[in-house]
Amino acid sequence: MVKIWEPSEELPDRIKKLREEYFSFYDRGYFRNEVIPFTTGTEWDELYSYHDWGDVPELFNYFAGIRDSLRSMAIKVDLPENFWAESSATRRAVFFRKVIEEYLPVKILNGELIVGSHFSTALSKCFTKKEAKAWWKEESKWLKEMVRLHDVGVMNCGAISGHIVPDYKKVLEKGFKGIKEEIEQQMERHDEKGEKDYCKSMIIAIEGTKRFAERYAEEAEKIAKGEKNEQRKKELLEIARICKKVPWEPAETFHEALQSVWFTHMLDMAAESYPGPGLSHGRFDQYMYPYYKKDIDEGRLTKEFAKELLECFWIKHNYAYDFMGFVGVKQGITSGFGQLMTLGGITKGGEDAVNELTWLLLDVIDDMNMLEPKRNIRISKKTSDKFLMRVCESIRKTQGSAFLLNFDENAIKGLLWEGLSEEDAIDYGVVGCLENTAQGKDRSGTVDVNPNLAKPVELVLNNGRDMLTGKLVTSKTGRPEEFLSYEEFEEAYFEQLDQCLEKALENASKADEIRAKYEPTPYLSSLIEGCAEKGKDVRNGGPVYNFITVEGVGIATAADSLAAVKKFVYDDKQISMEELIEAIKNNFEGKENLRRMLSTKAPKYGNDDDYVDSIARNISRHWTEEVFTRTSPYTGRRFRGGYLSWNYFIDFAPLTAATPDGRLRGTYLSNGIQPVQGKDKKGPTAVIRSAGKLGLETAPNGASQVIAFSSASLKDEEHLEKFASLLRAYGEVGGTALQINMIDPGTLKDAQKKPEEYENLLVRVTGYNAYFTVLGKEIQDEIIARESHAV
Amino acid sequence: MLKTSLGEKEFERSGDFISGAKKVDGIIFNIQRYSTEDGPGIRTTVFMKGCPLRCSWCQNPEGLSKEPDLVWYQTRCVAALECLKVCREEALKLTEEGMSIDREKCTRCGECVKACPAGALELIGKRYNTEELLDEVLRDRVFYEKSNGGVTFGGGEPMLQVDFLEDILPKLKETNIHVAIDTCGAVPWKYFERIIDYVDLFLFDLKLLDEQKFREYTGGNIGLVTDNARQISSRKIPMWVRTPIIPGYTDDEENIRSISEFVVRNLPTAQRYDLLSFNNMCKSKYERLGMNWELKDVPLIEKGDMEEFRKIAEGTGLSNVRWSGPTRIGGE
Repeated sequence: MVKIWEPSEELPDRIKKLREEYFSFYDRGYFRNEVIPFTTGTEWDELYSYHDWGDVPELFNYFAGIRDSLRSMAIKVDLPENFWAESSATRRAVFFRKVIEEYLPVKILNGELIVGSHFSTALSKCFTKKEAKAWWKEESKWLKEMVRLHDVGVMNCGAISGHIVPDYKKVLEKGFKGIKEEIEQQMERHDEKGEKDYCKSMIIAIEGTKRFAERYAEEAEKIAKGEKNEQRKKELLEIARICKKVPWEPAETFHEALQSVWFTHMLDMAAESYPGPGLSHGRFDQYMYPYYKKDIDEGRLTKEFAKELLECFWIKHNYAYDFMGFVGVKQGITSGFGQLMTLGGITKGGEDAVNELTWLLLDVIDDMNMLEPKRNIRISKKTSDKFLMRVCESIRKTQGSAFLLNFDENAIKGLLWEGLSEEDAIDYGVVGCLENTAQGKDRSGTVDVNPNLAKPVELVLNNGRDMLTGKLVTSKTGRPEEFLSYEEFEEAYFEQLDQCLEKALENASKADEIRAKYEPTPYLSSLIEGCAEKGKDVRNGGPVYNFITVEGVGIATAADSLAAVKKFVYDDKQISMEELIEAIKNNFEGKENLRRMLSTKAPKYGNDDDYVDSIARNISRHWTEEVFTRTSPYTGRRFRGGYLSWNYFIDFAPLTAATPDGRLRGTYLSNGIQPVQGKDKKGPTAVIRSAGKLGLETAPNGASQVIAFSSASLKDEEHLEKFASLLRAYGEVGGTALQINMIDPGTLKDAQKKPEEYENLLVRVTGYNAYFTVLGKEIQDEIIARESHAV
Repeated sequence: MLKTSLGEKEFERSGDFISGAKKVDGIIFNIQRYSTEDGPGIRTTVFMKGCPLRCSWCQNPEGLSKEPDLVWYQTRCVAALECLKVCREEALKLTEEGMSIDREKCTRCGECVKACPAGALELIGKRYNTEELLDEVLRDRVFYEKSNGGVTFGGGEPMLQVDFLEDILPKLKETNIHVAIDTCGAVPWKYFERIIDYVDLFLFDLKLLDEQKFREYTGGNIGLVTDNARQISSRKIPMWVRTPIIPGYTDDEENIRSISEFVVRNLPTAQRYDLLSFNNMCKSKYERLGMNWELKDVPLIEKGDMEEFRKIAEGTGLSNVRWSGPTRIGGE
């Protein structure tokens, strides 16, 4: 039986109220964290960069409207004298500082213990008239080419904000005061004026944090004065004390540490302008533990109160979704924030890193039932059985939604492959959804470039032209009818793939360049190692590690397509290339039998079948190794591969012609490194092994894999243990990241309607097994009823 | 339904299985990976064709015959009619009720299966030689290792293919993989003798202890079954005893009590006792095989009854008694 995940009844009243308040978007007119735009007041001001959203094709048509709206709504910020004489970075820093010190509204919600409310902004780019003109010229040229390539299904790209782990640990240990001193020392070292000046801008930006926090202290004191409830009054005065101290000074208590992290984090989102997606905490249980332990050991803190503080901290993250509250109030219509918290894993010495705080955080996650911050559990060989079972229990309780699992050995292998030091690789954090990155020193730019790996199949079959529009996309690779062997066909595929990548990387480099040249973020740079040392912005190659991640879309669709061509055209010679091309151009109209044959009788990736898995591996190794040889010329950031594929398997679906695996135009491509929907018919172990064969270390970003289980497969202790063992094995033979889903009655009903997409759905009872879709309707209904109700 | 079973003499004559030849193929109707219901840990279950019993409630009727069975899946059929064109025996006819298969005429040649573009026709039952099957079951080795799992041979009745087992089991043991045999026990002891040294666990069915009822409902000889159970246990091989709880057949308290008592007295190596509730999901399988199933309208067992049976079993001194399987919805 599936009991849908709910918040715990045991939550303290304070937390219940704060939680409900968050979910009552329409009722809280007194506070909504909606975007507040701020302008320099010039008529040429810009507040919105299209390249921030280049990976959201749904938005392309709204870009101009959003740009204009933000400009027209913007609040003018009074600028100091000499503002326009300063460098671009300094102007941005001064502007940011001014906004957080004077303009960003301050709001403390009733009962909350962690404060800091308004952080959604759209900040002026602070352009001079000349810069604005140059920026727009480059931006609109980049956009035109990007949209052109997108519209023929080749790729989308941008220079996406967020997706980074700032060095929150450093803020806790040194405070911004200490960070400022460090930057000053670095500034002394620099000879070049530009670098010195850049360091100055970082200092200006972070100095604003002091006054910003004090504004909250003043607000707390003000509310305390009128507060009748003695308990709350005490709390407010404690909040005021803490806000006078952090994040400027180092944190000493657990409460101070949480407040310091929250302020630092929310200001990051403000600095990058809304929504700063994927901005992530890194290994929270590791750097917060000393503060927790000290307070507990010295009797200042109880476990219960620590939990309550964490729960207050938890709720704050969800307010990121307020920016779209009037569009959909259910925790955000796209669920797209991904403020990740990395938990568990191994220590620098290679031992199990799970501590008391990790355990406590699992309770918080279970009890809160909130989307943000999203959780990633690092599972390693050293993870104890006890902890792994606890994780599995949570997966069962939350239908898998509590966490995503990252597998240390496989993840670290990829990070070493891309050149991280062993120390940094072991200490990796996760951003966005599942993307692996070094903490506090890595601008890995995940989701920046998203090429369609299935499109080159169409371009081979149509000799470089998009089938829908007839437009020439790439140069010719010859008439496929004349290819004498599968090897020739495969070679043509790789040539088309390389051409698509070439165009994608060129265009992405342009977005990267525009952002680096015109839109520095000194505040965020202060939290990333390397920026002060080099005197360069985080967006401009400042960090120790600099990557732009290329997330391949549709690998299984591509591999299955090549396998079908190999088998039917070349190996078995059952169909001719002419016939295949003709059928595909006509979207298999009048050729349903052929389509069925391709769809059901060719080898499919995801079944541990080397015939097709080896093709998938060749494709994966080919393109990931290819992109890794390239860098973005302006910033020097190196392209690296990965498989996130967000929702592009949907977006590219109508833009990709029918494929030789029997897929029709418009049917979704495969997602992440998953098999084509419904084609993995040998169960989870076979899917895992197919994924493992890809050789994913050359895709160091990590790869998205989702496996669905029926509730029966986790029904009791015995099954949970088997499931835990499956996870252990995944760490050895699988990929880097796994999301567990539960098959729910809705899925089963869908399978009744669309049996072709659910051929893999297995019903298993002791001594009996059958595929769901071949059961009689009446038995299917009974199984659905069983999943819907108590069994 | 026809109630026939092979006696010892017939076994000797059924040359397909017991050939005495060194190399025989296994005839297998399914290989189930990530199998979590057939023994400890994560397993691969190999379902072997052919069964000496004809239990009225059989869950896997495609495992009864040792011959391949041709089946047709309505949900996959696109009415391409290619199958009709290639069938030399004219054994197929697509009617308003679906595909009619004349099983007398059909020679299981498989031409229609090849011709069908949609995979709607399937021959259940495929030959594997030892190397092919080893390749298949060794693929999940790491999963067995992490979970203390292994390979289970079930069916049908795997012991009917003892020649094949005798070839493959030693090779599996060489790789240290845990081997379980899921058996109804109704084969001569000497078959067990040939492979018992390579088996780590027997999943042993005790369905009914009443001699007459057992013969009536399954066509078998319970004396042979219980003797084999005793012998296995005396050879110190761990056993998991299983009883299917079938309404009107095995679901009386006395039956459960007597089986439990038998286990307590005679099977010292029994590690657990599983009560498996009746499951009607195989209805579609019978339809596809053109077989009538007497139990097709029988309602499921009630949860409370399963609990009751578990208590009865425990009352005899058995420990580790579990029940699983579907129970009636509503009225709980």
